[in-house]
Parts: sequence; structure tokens; C-alpha cells
Amino acid sequence: MSCSVLDEEQFRLSCQLLLQRSDQLGDGWSWEAVQGSEEGYLRKTALRSVPSDWGPLHDQKGFSSHPQPQTLCDSTGHEKEEQDPAASTGSDFLRAEEEDAGSYTVTNSSSLVLQYEYHILFSCSYGAPVLYFRAFTLEGRSLALEEMWSTIHPNYRLCLQNCPLNAISQQEHPLLGQPFFFFHPCRTEEFMGPVLQAAPDQGRPVNYVLSWLSVVGPVVGLDVPLQYCTALHSTKPD
Amino acid sequence: MITLLCGFESFICRMLSVLFMPAGSCSVLGLHLCFGGAYSLCPTGRTSCSTMADDKDVLRDVWFGRIPTCFTLNPDEVTEREAEAYYLLLPRVSYLPVVTDKVKKHFLKVMRAEDVEEMWFEYEGTPLKWHYPIGVLFDLHASNTVLPWNITVHFKNFPDQDLLHCLSNSIVEAHFMSSIKEADALKHKSQVVNDMQKKDHKQLWMGLQNDKFDQFWAMNRKLMEYPTEDGGFRYIPFRIYQTLSDRPFIQKLFRPVSPDCNVHTLGDLLKEMYPDALTNDGEQKRYQVLIHGIEPLLETPLQWLSEHLSHPDNFLHICVVPVPTD
Repeated sequence: MSCSVLDEEQFRLSCQLLLQRSDQLGDGWSWEAVQGSEEGYLRKTALRSVPSDWGPLHDQKGFSSHPQPQTLCDSTGHEKEEQDPAASTGSDFLRAEEEDAGSYTVTNSSSLVLQYEYHILFSCSYGAPVLYFRAFTLEGRSLALEEMWSTIHPNYRLCLQNCPLNAISQQEHPLLGQPFFFFHPCRTEEFMGPVLQAAPDQGRPVNYVLSWLSVVGPVVGLDVPLQYCTALHSTKPD
Repeated sequence: MITLLCGFESFICRMLSVLFMPAGSCSVLGLHLCFGGAYSLCPTGRTSCSTMADDKDVLRDVWFGRIPTCFTLNPDEVTEREAEAYYLLLPRVSYLPVVTDKVKKHFLKVMRAEDVEEMWFEYEGTPLKWHYPIGVLFDLHASNTVLPWNITVHFKNFPDQDLLHCLSNSIVEAHFMSSIKEADALKHKSQVVNDMQKKDHKQLWMGLQNDKFDQFWAMNRKLMEYPTEDGGFRYIPFRIYQTLSDRPFIQKLFRPVSPDCNVHTLGDLLKEMYPDALTNDGEQKRYQVLIHGIEPLLETPLQWLSEHLSHPDNFLHICVVPVPTD
């Protein structure tokens, strides 16, 4: 690929390769096709344990009146007025507060177990993959945006706060119509560009979706094992 | 009420030839908008200079489109006394959270604070997606019903499997700006929107929020420009909505002009993206294709529609609804 923009066919091919490797590794990805078309997305569910000292999950009784973290993508790169994201993502979340034992499961090692669902879709507007995800407590309650922030490692949280361009926000799933969280794809081209430029020097083709996933996945608890990179290549000439 | 509807309709309804069907059911109680002014289209697809004024009129008609709405509190909500219905003219091009502060205040007067959670709206059992423009919600769910549009207001049991949360106007702003950026990614590879200052982005949002047509279009016109030699945008930002399947909308890449310089029409778009919406020869018409409550002729150039009938978010929102069987 000469530019860092993906087309739908390339996306599908990258997904299929990823899928093959996932099957070999037992990593749990599946391809969900849109009825009667070639369109579809990658899907995976996983249980994830989140240390409770990253911040308490909000009690469900009574909704929070905190303003949401500013999710506006400012692609001019100009200084943004923060809409007080600290209110939702900062020190409140890192304080140890008394837990409300009724609303979530606490394991022996003092962490919370959540059920995650990850979808990788293609954005034709941005020529890039997009990660949609949602999480539920084991009782089946879905996480709100502020709670989602508290499941993100404090280091990543700081990065995202300073760089709202890659912020997480709630969005309607374009194929299912249900609320999910997603990473805005408008800046994917920026970080994938250098990867693709360096690829010819590496002497092997880059799987766009895999490389992209290894960047955004870990932020939301989706790890990409190194074994994916061994013997994963396209049979098509680049 | 009848007086209101007459005034409303004459405000909106004018005569138009060529591009727009007179939308047969443009009656006092109907909500179809008719656009006015003699509009002619040169064979090359460019508009003649004498109709530039009419183009601006179309922009105004789109911006100032209104839907008479009646808000009623969900009967299961706990109130201290009976809640009266609240009537409001909703702007088609805006979003529910932006224009319903008065609705909220009205109903909060009869409720106790502990019975109030996030407000949400529903029409005939369907939760209304606040992140869709109001006109789209109406066309999709209630286009062939008698006015006013009857919406039920809820303060409890927020359906978080159906609706996004919206706890402040900054969330609406974020969604709106996100759409504008996505539209420009399609039209101009994001070059125009990226060249704008942060204050320019703010002007677009404030223009919409405060219903200021001139303020909005002073900035939005830049997003509607294109190099003359290209004949149009790179791709047309559009979404086709329907209620017959789970898929909320269809959005794909589509060029306004073909590689061999043919101007693509609304009909071409539908043929490619949603052929079921079209009526074949000899068949009875099954679907209406609505944009801002009207059915543009299928021969209308898509580029023209994108420039004139887009919503403020720069997307052409197209609703395909079954023809009413009455």
C-alpha cells in the first residue's frame, strides 16, 4: 500500500488473515457477516479483570452529573478548552473510596471482573478500521462512559486526556444500531502512516488491521499476543 | 390549532417545478414541505446565474423547517399533580436535547427531584435517538401521520441498550462536530475542516444551537465549495435510513460524478445502495424516499442535493418509508 488509507477489500483481506491466525492461536475472533453481503466485522468477547484501585465503578443508583470528558476531535491540533475532563477521568477515579459491594463482583485479589465485547468495523469515510466495544458487569449491567474510563490504565488515561483526538466516546454501532463505545478513527492515518512507510524496509508486508489493533487494543484491555506476528503474511503481492 | 397549521404551512410551502414533485399530499394537515421558485437546470448540470437567489431560498427553507410537536409525560411517571401537555415547534435540522430545555422545565414543575433521572423521548413505543436530526426522526417514524407529532417524555428507565446517553449539550456538540468532520473527510479528504480554526468550528455549532442561519452559513459555505474542474465533491456524505431491518442506516462511498463524467442522480444512488426503494415499471409504488419531508425527483443531481438539502451536519439524510396504505 502506498498510502496509509485502507480500502474495504484490503480491510477484509487483513481481517481474514488475522482470523486464520486467531483460529490457530485460539484467540477467539470471529467474522460476523452482514446478511446477504460481503460486509461484516470481526468480533470477540473476553472476560477481563480490572484492578479496583484504578478507580471505583459508579453506583448505578442516580446518574452522575459530571460533564462528560470532551470527546471533540480537534484535528487542527490547536489548544482545546477542556470541558473539565478531570471531573470524570482524573483524581476522583484514583481515590480509594468505600466500595458499594452490591453492584459488582470483587475477587480475592481486589479486582473487578467484566465481560467485554470487541468489534472491529471498517470506516469507509476514514479508510480505517474502527474499534467498537462495550462491557458488562457479571450481573449484566452495561458500563457507562465514566465507568469505562475507570477501566483504562491510569497511564493511558493521561495520554487520552491530553489528546482528545483519540478519545473514547459513545456511538451508535453502524450495523447493529446499539450504543457502543468507540475510538474516533479520524487520526488513525497519522499513527499508521509511519508504520506503513517503514514496512518495505522490514522486508515483509504489514497487516494493517493487526498493527492498528496492537496500538488501540491494549488501551481497552484487548491484548494482541506476539504470536500473531509470526508467519502472518498476505499471499497477494503487495 | 388549525390556524397554527395554516400559518406554518404557508411559511414553508411554495411552488417548485422541475426538481421537486409537488408532493401530492401537501395539504394543511400534511407535513410535506414544498420548495418554491422557478428552478431550471442547464444540461451541463450547472445552475444558471439567475437562479442563485432561489438556491439560497432553498437553504433557508431547509434551515427554518419546523414540526409542530405535542409533548406528553409518560403516564407511569410519578407526579405531584397532573402534567399538562406541552406544545413546541421543533426545528427539523436541530437535535432534541438542544431544543427541549423548556419541555424539561415544564414537566419538572410537577415532579419531585428523586423521581427524575435522565430525560428521554419515545414515539409509539420507539425510543427516539437524540443524535439523529429531529426531521429525520419525524420522517422515519411519523411522516404520514396527522400533526402534531405526539412525543412521550420519560424521566426513568433510560433504555441504555437503545439510546446513547446525553448528559450535557457538549455531548451533542461533539456528535455534531464529529459528523461535520466525517462529511469533510468524504468531500475534501478533511482538508477544509482541518484548515478551519477552532473558533470556526465553534461558529458552526453556535449557529446551529442558537438558530442563526447567517452565522452558520458564513462558515458552512466553505465546506460546500469544490474545485470547478472536479465537478463536485470527492464523495457524497449520505445516510439512507429505513425501519424494516435492524441495520440503522446505509452509508458507503459514492461519487457525485462518474469517471466518464456522468452526473449521478438520487436515482443512481438508490439503485446502487438500496434498489428495493425504487419502483420498477408497471409496479405499484411501495416506498417514499424523503429528504426534509419531501420527495425530490429521482433525476435530481446528487451534488446539488448535497449542497442544498444536506443537514447542518453536512450529511444528506435520506429516509425510505413504506407508502401509507389508507
